[in-house]
Amino acid sequence: MTGLIWKDFLVMRKALKSYVLLIGVYILLAYLDFFDYSFIITFIQVVLAVLPISAFAYDEQSKWDRYAMSLPLGRRGVVGARYLFVLALTLLTMAAGLAGTALLYLARQSDPLEMFVTLMVSTTVGLLIPTILLPLSYKLGAERARPYLYAIIFIPVIALVLLAKAGVLDMSMLKGMDLLAPTALAGGSALLPLAGLALLFVSYLISCRVAAGKEY
Amino acid sequence: MTNCIEIKGLSKSYGDFALKNIDLTLPGGSILGLIGENGAGKTTTIKCILNLIHRDAGEITLLGYDNIREERLAKQDIGLVLDECFFSDALRPLDLDKILAPAYREWDRKLFRSYLDKFGLPEKKLIKEFSRGMKMKLSLSAALAHHPRLLILDEATAGLDPVVRDEILDEFLGFIQDEDHAILMSSHITSDLEKVADYIAYIHQGQVVLSDAKDNILDSYGRVGCTTAQLENIDPRDVLHTRRGAFGAEALVKDRAAFARKYPMLLVERTTLEDIMLFVGKGEAK
Repeated sequence: MTGLIWKDFLVMRKALKSYVLLIGVYILLAYLDFFDYSFIITFIQVVLAVLPISAFAYDEQSKWDRYAMSLPLGRRGVVGARYLFVLALTLLTMAAGLAGTALLYLARQSDPLEMFVTLMVSTTVGLLIPTILLPLSYKLGAERARPYLYAIIFIPVIALVLLAKAGVLDMSMLKGMDLLAPTALAGGSALLPLAGLALLFVSYLISCRVAAGKEY
Repeated sequence: MTNCIEIKGLSKSYGDFALKNIDLTLPGGSILGLIGENGAGKTTTIKCILNLIHRDAGEITLLGYDNIREERLAKQDIGLVLDECFFSDALRPLDLDKILAPAYREWDRKLFRSYLDKFGLPEKKLIKEFSRGMKMKLSLSAALAHHPRLLILDEATAGLDPVVRDEILDEFLGFIQDEDHAILMSSHITSDLEKVADYIAYIHQGQVVLSDAKDNILDSYGRVGCTTAQLENIDPRDVLHTRRGAFGAEALVKDRAAFARKYPMLLVERTTLEDIMLFVGKGEAK
């Protein structure tokens, strides 16, 4: 299974190198105060959302699935490797985010709590995207699943803005978070990615079911 | 000698096409050539063997393992070369070592590199820069590097020049020197199968219409060239298929020697697998 995780990284090494370089540049620009730190966090989230779909697209291009399913790994093994790739990406992007947080805190005394909470929330959202998209990609293929990526990102944002404008959503409730103790806020936000992981596991089970019924 | 592949009563229906009641056996130390027209069911059979598609009925045993219940055990000993290279253009040959080594218990890094060397494949060159011949050699290197006992090849030599094909066929002949090893090889290039196969199975419209030792087929089947009038005088029970053209007629017979004795005035020649395919695919059955 580790071989297949390696495969995803090796196939996308060019793209990954560019992303790492860009993240480095953004952290530097945030340090120089050209960019807000939350921009970097959002960028990392985009990486997390796009790469697993790109992995499916590369596989489709080379018809890799037929070969992978012929390996002595079983269908669950092949699907599991793709999910472990997502987990590895999550850990890497989270580590990059934490390194950025530490750097900005040490260098500029920025508020670490705010940055930490932002990182945890964005990591969770970043996990939710493959949670929904991976089973869809197994079912529909990368190209047909891609429009759902945009739907998942844009529909909730548009809905939130419209609800807030219509006065249905009371955004002032977010201010209540300031009343929470910093430790409670940090602890609570650290739990969010765990909830994301639980959902990712459910998503894995669905993908296994889809792959088991599929013909290659 | 044990059987490396045993297929009994394999059926699979797609609605407009069906694989019907396929029985095949591949003994150890031999090569079984699978022939048939495009869409006849060769690849469907191979997909069923590899459990890539769900069969409707039948049983498949690979190296003594059930191909579904013991799929992972069976696949540890199978090397696979399909009709195209499944490795992304963004990879390099050496990357395959990292990707495939964890999948196989007996992956042999040294052997893989020795095949790359033997086939003249640059280890660090991007696969997108490889020719079709190089890609097939790379697939074969990957298929052989975990010491498989069974090779499954689906149109593996298609589109290759005769020199590369010959090189690869030599490799196959070397592989089956071990009595424990066997090769299932689907190919349209019947001359390749005439060179290396021990057994031939001909799939036509989803059914096995001919399955025998290659030498038995080539030694006994015959092609009769005659006029349409002469063809009319042949007992229909003595011919399998006939073809009529503007310049005469042809017939496929099962027992060349017996036919020559019964019809001494007619010339009956040795036949080729390609002839047999043409008779069955385009001729009239008797």
